[in-house]
Formats: sequence, C-alpha cells, structure tokens
Amino acid sequence: MTITQTIVREHEADLVVREAQTVANGVVALTLSAPDGVELPAWTPGAHVDFVLNDDLIRQYSLCSSPSKLDAWRVGVLRAPDSRGGSQRVHDLFTPGTIVRVRGPRNHFPLVASRRYLFIAGGIGITPLLPMIAEAEAAGADWRLLYGGRERASMAFLDELAQYGDRVMIVPQDEQGMLDLESALGTPEVDTLVYCCGPEGLLSAVEKFCERWPAGALHLERFSAKPQEPVTEAESSFELVLQRSGLTLEVPAEKSVLTVIREAGVSVLASCLEGVCGTCETEVVDGDVDHRDSILNEEERASNEYMMVCVSRCRSPRLTLDL
Amino acid sequence: MSQQASSRSNRTGAHPRNCWYAVATSAQVSREPLGRRVLDTGVVLFRTTDGTAVALEDRCAHRPYPLSLGRVDGDRIVSGYTGFAYDARGFCVHVPTQSEIPVGARVRAFPVQEDGTFVWVWLGKPALAGLRRPATTPWLTDSEWATLGDEWETEADLLLLHENFADITHVAVVDPYIAPPVLRSSPPPLEVEVTETTVSFSRTYQPAPIPAWQAELLGLPAEAEHVQREQGAFLTPGLWVDRWDVYVESAPKQNEVYTFRFAHAVTPISPGRTRHAWRVSRNFALGEQAGKVLLPIFTDYYQRVKRILETMQRVLDTDGPRREVNVSADAAALQVRKIIRNMVADETGSGHRGAALQASRAPGGR
Repeated sequence: MTITQTIVREHEADLVVREAQTVANGVVALTLSAPDGVELPAWTPGAHVDFVLNDDLIRQYSLCSSPSKLDAWRVGVLRAPDSRGGSQRVHDLFTPGTIVRVRGPRNHFPLVASRRYLFIAGGIGITPLLPMIAEAEAAGADWRLLYGGRERASMAFLDELAQYGDRVMIVPQDEQGMLDLESALGTPEVDTLVYCCGPEGLLSAVEKFCERWPAGALHLERFSAKPQEPVTEAESSFELVLQRSGLTLEVPAEKSVLTVIREAGVSVLASCLEGVCGTCETEVVDGDVDHRDSILNEEERASNEYMMVCVSRCRSPRLTLDL
Repeated sequence: MSQQASSRSNRTGAHPRNCWYAVATSAQVSREPLGRRVLDTGVVLFRTTDGTAVALEDRCAHRPYPLSLGRVDGDRIVSGYTGFAYDARGFCVHVPTQSEIPVGARVRAFPVQEDGTFVWVWLGKPALAGLRRPATTPWLTDSEWATLGDEWETEADLLLLHENFADITHVAVVDPYIAPPVLRSSPPPLEVEVTETTVSFSRTYQPAPIPAWQAELLGLPAEAEHVQREQGAFLTPGLWVDRWDVYVESAPKQNEVYTFRFAHAVTPISPGRTRHAWRVSRNFALGEQAGKVLLPIFTDYYQRVKRILETMQRVLDTDGPRREVNVSADAAALQVRKIIRNMVADETGSGHRGAALQASRAPGGR
C-alpha cells in the first residue's frame, strides 16, 4: 500500500498591474487583474495577499478594493525606506503592464459581526480597514474611524473616506499631534469591537489600552513580527508526532517545527516564517504549546487548539499535530 | 480528552448565513407559490408578472399561516387564510377588513439572484448580499454542454455532503460500476490549493481504461488507456463543482478531451438536513439517447451516496460526534471545514473566531 502523497499550497497567480496611481506622498495604489481577465478568488474584508517579488522577498499587502469586485484587486503600498527593498521595488518598477506573482488571498483579520466598531488606522494601516468600513456602513453598524498619519499629504484614501462625514476623524500629526487613544479607548465598551492596523508603536499602545476591554474585543493586524521577549534559556528539543502521516520525528533545538515537518516530506502551508501571516496555522492534538506568533490572542493561545508551526514550539516532551 | 475531542469535530450543525444558496431551480419557481425551508427559515418563492423571482418569509404577518399555501395575484402574494396581500418587497399592501394598512405590517424579503439554472437566495444580513456574488456555473446553460441531473433532500448535514465531494476515492467502494478503474489503484499525488474562501484539488492519473459505459458512449475500445484528470472545487458553502477529463491520444479521436463537469448546489434546510441539486454535464455524446443511458447511472450513484450520508448522520445523532481519524487524502475536506468554521465564527461572534467557535459548540448544537 502506497501512502497518498498530498501537496497543499495556496493559490498563486501571475497578475498584471493595470493601474499604478500615487494616492498620497509615498503611497501608490495598484490595481491588479488576471492577464486573461478571469475572475480572481473571492475574499472578505481584512484579507491580504503576498507579493512574491523573489524567492526570499515576499511582502504582504491588504486588499483595499470591494469584495464584490472579482475581476480586479487593489492594494496600497507605502514606500518604506527601512524595508528590505520590497516596497521600493514596487514603487520604482511597477507600472501598468508589470507582471507580479501574487499568493493568496488569506484573512487573519476578519470582520466579525457586531453592532458597533471602532476602527483605528495609522498611516498605510488604513488599507485593510477601507473594505471593513464599507461593510460596516452597509450593514448599518454604528462605527467610527480614527485615522492618524504624519501629515495630511501622506495619508491615503482621504477622498474615499470623505463620504462618511463625521464618522471619520482625520488626525495628521503635524496639525493635531498624536491620536487621542485615551479618550477613544480609556473607557471600555461592552459591545464595540476595536480594529486596528498601523505601525508597531500604535499597535502596542492600543493593545495596552485594550487590556481592560472585554476579551476578544480587540482585533489587530501586524505586518512585522511583534517584539518578543528575548529567549533566556537555550531552546529545548522535543518529539513531534504527525498523526495523519503516521510519523514520529525529533525537533532539535536549532530547528523549527515547520522545518522538521518539511524535511520529513509532509506538505504544510507556510509563508512569512515569522509568525505574522497565519498561513501555517496547524491543529494541535496534544502538547503544551509555547506560542511565539503575533496572531493568536490570549484566549486562542490558552485553548491550545492551533499553533503557528513556523515559530512556535513545545514545552512538553511531545507535540502531536493533525498533519 | 473525549469531551474536548468531540467538540473539535466541527460537527456543530452551524451553517454560514451570509452566503448565496440555491433554494430552487429556475424552472421550479413560477406564478404558483413554492414553499421551501432554508437555514431553519420558511421561504416562499414566486414570480411577478414580469417574470422576476421573489423570495419572502413564508409566514403571514397576521396569523402563523404559510404564504406558500396562498395564491399569487398580479405582483402580490395573498395569504390563503387572512387574505393579507404582500408585494415583492414584503410590504403588506392590502388587508380585507379595513382600508388602513397596519403600520409595520410586512414580511422579510430576501435578496434573489438567478443564473438560468438556480434561484440563489441570501438569508444573511441583507445589506451584505450586494458585497458578495454567487459562484457561477456558466456551462449549465451553454449549448456546447449537455446536462442532466436531479434534486432531493438528504437527511444529512451540509458538512457531510461537502466532505463527500472533497474526496472521491470512495467512489470505487460505493459504486464499482460507475467508478473509473483508476480509482481502484492507489491514487497519484493530491494537489490541494486554498484561498481565503475556496478550496480546490486535482489529481492526474496515469493512462488507464475508462469505465465500460463511457467507452461505449465515446465509441472507444474498452481496453484503451487514457490519461485522466480529476479536479474539484469548493466555491462557497452552497456550491461544489468538479470535473473529470479523459485525454484521448490515439486515433480516431486524437487529442480530444472528453469532460464530465459536475455541479452540486447544496442548501442547508436545518442542521442534519440538506437540499442537494446535482447536475452532470458532458461535452461529448450530446444527444438525448446518451442522456437516457447516463441519467440512471448517475441517479443510482447519487442515491447510494445519499443513503450512506443519511446513515452517517443517524450514527452522529445516535452516538454523538467523536474525534475522527484523518488521513492524508482528507486535506481538501479539512480546509473546507476550516473555511466553514471561520465563516460561522465571524457571523455569530461578538468575539473573535476562537470565542465564537466555542459558543457555536455549546451544548444543544449538534
């Protein structure tokens, strides 16, 4: 009896840049579609895609068009001087006609049904919130947006937000200073969900404020790994059981769970390799997981049902996964 | 452990509501009211004078009597008991006993889309209907394809149907006559591709004979061997499509690709009960005679599947769910579960996916 070999991968396609438009200082909006114009996979607000610029240059961008439009996607890209050159390349080289390898979409920032929302955007973090806002508005939810940026000219999509009137508060730092998180988040509200996307400083500040909010109220998305407490002890090794594959493996201190799974020839999805994209989420059967990702919240971690195998490890001697 | 294990089986019977479901076929919706149950909600369907399909809540606002037991009068539907009349938007427009229309007298109207084959109805948040599109099956109305099929209710949960479509390696066990002989050998690698909302898979088989009945229809020698390719896709919780391609390389039909396309519109009636409309389309032997040969073959197979899924549901109902052993070939089914689970969590949650998941697993759920 031969073992069925199974390869699981994410949707990947070469898409054509149809439009490349500067929508604010340092921000370009790209419209992408299939070369033959066929429909692209459906997605929901909060979804993002990978631009596979080359084998080790993969960048994540939120979709910021309407999910009802399946013939094209739009992303907004900030020229980030400190990145490894991904956004520079997009800014300098992407013109109408450019072909880009796109993986996804996937969604780890889904818009959960609620009567009230507080959206908080910092700079380019506005992108995933645009389709969320459209959906919240269509659903008749009570919502507000706080949108901070360095200066008005650097803040993208202000024109599209104008239709929402005073639900939107635009806060350019050079005119009005920082976002007033104290008055927005100082008093926890029981039936409001908070959605935040932006630079790490904003995310950490919002997380701090939301500690007093009901569990599950805060939803945020990071596009770079959350700063981790430095690991003081040496990594330990543990046994890894892949239940479906019927394999028992050893994860040595210097290798990730993902690496060991792949070396054993078992197919598992993965993308960012730093615990931010959520692609490698795997069901845990047994084991005390040492979560080190930036996706799962405290409650999800405590449930011990899923783990991101690219970064997380195990404290107990054996980890059993549904793979 | 057993408690935790059963809660993780995903067999909660919870179904996404923010989804287009095929509530009826276009041919079934007429000037006579048609009552259907979808997501534990009564829905009445009818056509207005200009042919537009309308879906309303199947319950008169005045007394608990189904509108589907009434009659269509012009663009209105009239209750067969109270005589209350409702327009296509669900507003009460006539009350027999008084000239004033009671304030707020109305029934829910559901967004409808029609594609020439199915009448798709949206029972979720009405405002979101415009932001999602029903998946399309254009070949069902294309004259290059001949289509046959049937529809019925299956006493099994939506998820059991999807899991069945996600892995067809069981066909050789269930119905050796219909099964392509390659399914009896150990399968080639399964390639599964996922997006946020869809799962598709494919397998390419080494040259092998095709079923005798298909060889006869194609006028090919029964023993001739052909490369075959299987593809399937979960497009939404309401639609599964797949195809089986036969690549003929030898004369006299060199370089022809003969294809069956399958469409399964599945609509949750309630937990443990599903409406299943299946269509089998082919790009060869388009004549009626071939249809007469094929219809009983496929009907027999899908009836077998229906009985098996109903048996599984009875076992679940009697003994409760358990943690199931998964094998490598289940990769697509597991991704489908994950998508459905996340959709339900996002819809029901005042919290995050984890919390909503726990809520949906509360005792009382199946």
